[in-house]
Amino acid sequence: MAEPLLDARDLVKHYGSVEALRGASFTAYAGEVVSLIGDNGAGKSTLVKCLSGAEQPDSGTISFDGRTISLPTPTAARALGIETVYQDLAVAPDLDPAANLFLGRELRKPGVLGWLGVLDKKEMRRLATSSFGDLGVTLQSVDVPIGSLSGGQRQSVAVARSVVWASKLVFMDEPTAALGVVQRERVLDVIKRVRDQGMAVVLISHNMPEVLAVSDRVEVLRLGRRVARFRAADTTVEELVGAMTGALSQEDA
Amino acid sequence: MTSDVRERTLAKRLFSANTLWIALVLLVLIAVFGAIRPDAVLTTFTLQTTLVETSVLLVLSVGMTYVIITSGIDLSVGSVLVFSGVTSAMTMNAMNDGNATDAGWGTVLVGLVVALVSGAAWGLLNGLLVAKTGIPPLIVTLGSFGAALGAGQLISNGSNVSGVPDVLSDNLGTGTWFGIPNLVLLAAVVTGIGALVLATTRFGRYTYAIGSNEEAARRVGIAVTGHLVKVYLLAGTLAGLAGFMALAYFRVASITGHDTDNLNAIAGVVLGGTSLFGGAGSIVGTVLGVFIPAVLRKGFVIVGVNVYWQPIAVAIVLVAAVWFDQSRRRARNQR
Amino acid sequence: MSTRTVALLGAALLLTACGGGGQIGDTGGTGDNKKMVLIPGVAAEPFYISMECGFREAAKAKGYEVDVQAPAKFDSTLQTPIVTGVLANKPGAVLIAPTDDKAMAGPMKQLKDAGIKVVEVDTKLEDTSIAVSTVSSNNEQGGQLAARTLAKLVGEKPGSVLVLNTKAGTSTTDARAKGFEDEIKKFPNLKYVGQQYTDNEPDQAASKLTATLAANPDLIGVFATNLNTGEGAATGLRNAGRTGAVNLVGFDASPKQVQDLRAGAVQALIAQDPATIGRTGVEQAVAALEGGTAERDIETDLVALTKDDMDANEKYFYKQQC
Ligand SMILES: Nc1ncnc2c1ncn2[C@@H]1O[C@H](COP(=O)(O)OP(=O)(O)O)[C@@H](O)[C@H]1O
Ligand SMILES: [Mg+2]
Repeated sequence: MAEPLLDARDLVKHYGSVEALRGASFTAYAGEVVSLIGDNGAGKSTLVKCLSGAEQPDSGTISFDGRTISLPTPTAARALGIETVYQDLAVAPDLDPAANLFLGRELRKPGVLGWLGVLDKKEMRRLATSSFGDLGVTLQSVDVPIGSLSGGQRQSVAVARSVVWASKLVFMDEPTAALGVVQRERVLDVIKRVRDQGMAVVLISHNMPEVLAVSDRVEVLRLGRRVARFRAADTTVEELVGAMTGALSQEDA
Repeated sequence: MTSDVRERTLAKRLFSANTLWIALVLLVLIAVFGAIRPDAVLTTFTLQTTLVETSVLLVLSVGMTYVIITSGIDLSVGSVLVFSGVTSAMTMNAMNDGNATDAGWGTVLVGLVVALVSGAAWGLLNGLLVAKTGIPPLIVTLGSFGAALGAGQLISNGSNVSGVPDVLSDNLGTGTWFGIPNLVLLAAVVTGIGALVLATTRFGRYTYAIGSNEEAARRVGIAVTGHLVKVYLLAGTLAGLAGFMALAYFRVASITGHDTDNLNAIAGVVLGGTSLFGGAGSIVGTVLGVFIPAVLRKGFVIVGVNVYWQPIAVAIVLVAAVWFDQSRRRARNQR
Repeated sequence: MSTRTVALLGAALLLTACGGGGQIGDTGGTGDNKKMVLIPGVAAEPFYISMECGFREAAKAKGYEVDVQAPAKFDSTLQTPIVTGVLANKPGAVLIAPTDDKAMAGPMKQLKDAGIKVVEVDTKLEDTSIAVSTVSSNNEQGGQLAARTLAKLVGEKPGSVLVLNTKAGTSTTDARAKGFEDEIKKFPNLKYVGQQYTDNEPDQAASKLTATLAANPDLIGVFATNLNTGEGAATGLRNAGRTGAVNLVGFDASPKQVQDLRAGAVQALIAQDPATIGRTGVEQAVAALEGGTAERDIETDLVALTKDDMDANEKYFYKQQC
C-alpha cells in the first residue's frame, strides 16, 4: 500500500488522572474513508482533538505526508489542509451560517476598507449560499443565528465548513448523530465526494451499517488504544462489535 | 443540487430584533412625556441638555457593549473614569504651577493623553488578568473597581481635583458647533466609530464569535486571548476618555460622584438588547438603552412624578429587558 | 457539604463561642488617660481635616497626647476595625464621627465598656446612651440660613426655588432640606417646587436641575445640600447657560467650593464650623475625664458666605491641611 497521509503512533493523553489515550495509533490514507469506532469513552474524540491541534498529546509522534509534525494549534492543522467537525460542533450559535462558514477566514473588502478590517459580508454570503447549495444543505435563510436552526442543520453547517476548507484530510466526529434520514444520506454523499477528490476522510460513528456502507477501512479504538483494523469489504458488524468490546483482538493492530 | 437558502427581508430582520422594541419604548416614553408637558419636553433646550448629560455615560457604554458581547463584564469603568480624571487634572495642574485654570491647548492635549493612557493602563491590566489567568471578569474588574478608585484617592489625597483649564471646559464642556454641544459631537463620533467597527469589521465579528462560543473561536484559529485583551483595553481607554470629558463638563475631577457609573453603563447596554450571556448586541441598541433611563429621569422631574418612582421605573424596564432576552434564548435553545 | 460550607460554619461557631466567654478587646487594665484619639468619618476630606485642626490645637493646649485615625471611605466596615484598634491602646477619650447610626453602636459600646469617654462629633448614633456628649452642626438651622440667604440674594423678584438633595434617608442632608423648606415659606415671592434626590451623583444633580428648568423656566434659586449636589447643580446651570441668573446656594466650604464662590459659579455657601466642633469635642471629653460633667448635646452654628463678605470670613473656609 501507498505511504499513509497521516500516521500517528503511541499517542498518550491524560486529563488529570484520567488516561484518555494510552498509546493510541492511527493511520489514514489519501483517497479513502476510514472509520474510527469504539465504545463511548474509548478516546475517539480525544484522538481527533490531538490530531487536529485542539489538544496536545503528552507523548507520541504524528507524521503527515511523510514528515514528522507537531500541531500546537488548530491553525497549524488547518495550514496543512486538515479540517475537523468536532463532536460538540464548535460553531458560534449567535452568528449566522455564512459567518460560521467563514469564521476565522473572513473575506475583507478590497482596498482601504479591507485594510481597515471591513468585512465583505455580501461576498461571503454569496459564496456560503452556493457552497450550501452544492452540498445540499437546506436552510430557510442564511442570516439567522444558527443557534435558532435545528440540530441537524447546525451539524450540516459544521460539515460544510470542514469540507469547504479542507484540502487533504477531514475529521468528522459523529457528524450524522443528529440528522434525519435524508440529511444523513446527503452527508454520506458529501463524504464520498470528498474522498473521490483524493482527500482522506476520518469518520467517527456508532452506526455500524453506515460505517460499513461508506468506509474503505475501519480502525477500532478500545480503552485509549488501537485494537483492530479491518478492510470494510472483508468484515461484518459482528466482527466490529467484537473488537469494540474486547471479545476479539488483533496482535498487529 | 438546488438550494433552499433565502435571505430575509430587512423589515423582517428589524422586527425580530430587540432593538426595534427598545426604540419603540423610547419613542413611547418621549411621546407620553411630550403629551403631558409639550411646552417643556419637546424643546431644543431639553433635547440639548439631555444629550449633553448622557454623553459621558454613552462613551463608557460603548466600551461596555464590546465587553458584554464577549460575555464579560467591566465593573471598573466608573473608577477608571475617576482615576483618569484625577491623573489628567493633576498633571495639567503640575504643568502650570498647581493651577491649570488659565493654561493653553498644549496643557489640554497633555491632559488628554494622560487620561487616555491612564484608562488604557487599567484596561490592559483587566484584559491580561481576564484573558490569561482565567479569573472571571466579574472578580477581576471588581478588584480594579476598588483599586482604581483607591489609587485615584491616593494620588489626589482623597479630595476632588480642581483647576481644570478654562479653554477645555469652555470648548469641550460647554461649547457648541452649529448649535450642537461639542461634548455631544465627541460622544457621537466615538459611538459612530464604535458601532461601525462592531458591525462591519473583523474585530467586531471576532468579538461576537468569542462571546458566542469561546472554544469554537479558539478552534477556528481566532487569537482569543489577544482579542480579549484588546476589548478590555478599549473599554479602559474609553473610560479614560470619559474621565477627560467629565473633567471638561464638571470642571473638577470628582472622586465620590461616580460610584454607580458602572451599573448605569451596564444597565444601558443590557436595556439596549445586548445579552449578558454574550454573542449578541449592538451599539445602536446601547444608545437607545442609555437614553431610556435618562429620558425617564428627565421626564419624571418635568411632569412632577413623585421622586421615589424614578428608580423603580428604571428597574422595571431593566428587568423586563433581561427577561425578554432570556425567554428569546430559551425559545431558541429548545429547538 | 462542600469544604467551603464547612469552613464557614466552623468560623461562625468560633465566633459564637467567643461571644459566650466575653468580648473581643476585653483586655482589662487601665489605659493612658492623657491620650485622646479622633476618628473622623473619612480621611482627607477638608471638613474633617478642619475638624482635626481644631481638635489637635485644643487637645494639645490641655496637655493631651493626640492621634487621628480615619477610614479611607465613609463606611462602617472600614471604621469598625479602626475603633477596635484604638480600643487596644486604651486612650482616655475618643472623639468619633460614626459612619452609621446603628452599625457603629457595637464597636463604640466596647469603647465605653473599656472605660473610654466617647464624644460624638458631626454625626451621632441612634443609641444615645453610649457617648457622653454629641457635638454637631445644627443642620436644620443651616437649612433655614440657606433659605434666608437665598431670599436676600433674590430680593423682591418672584420665582421658583428647588432643593437638590443627596439620598433619601440621609439624616443630615434631610435636616438641611427640612430647615430650608420651613423657612422659604416665609417669603411669598418664592415658590418652592420641592426637592429632588440625586443619589449623591453630580451627573444626576445636573440633569435634574436642567429638567426642573425646562418645567419651571422661572427658576430663580437652588439649594444644593452637599458638595456633590452643588457641583452637579453648577454644571447643570452652566450647561443651560443660566449661571448667575439662577442663584445657587451650596453647603460646606471646601477649597473648590470657595473658588467657585469667588468665580461666581455659586452665589452663597452655608459653611459649618468643623474647627469649633473639634475644639468643643475636646472640651467635653476633658470635662468628662477630669471629673466635670459633659454637656449631652451641643449644636454649633453655621455661617453664610457670599462673594461680598467671604474675605472677612476666611476662617470658615475648610482646610486641606492645618
Ligand atoms: N476535557 C476532558 N477532561 C477530562 N476528561 C476528559 C476530557 N475529555 C475527555 N475526557 C475523558 O477521556 C476519556 C475519553 O473521552 P472521549 O475521547 O470523549 O471518548 P469518545 O469520544 O471515544 O467517547 C473519557 O473517559 C472522558 O471522560
Ligand atoms: Mg466522542
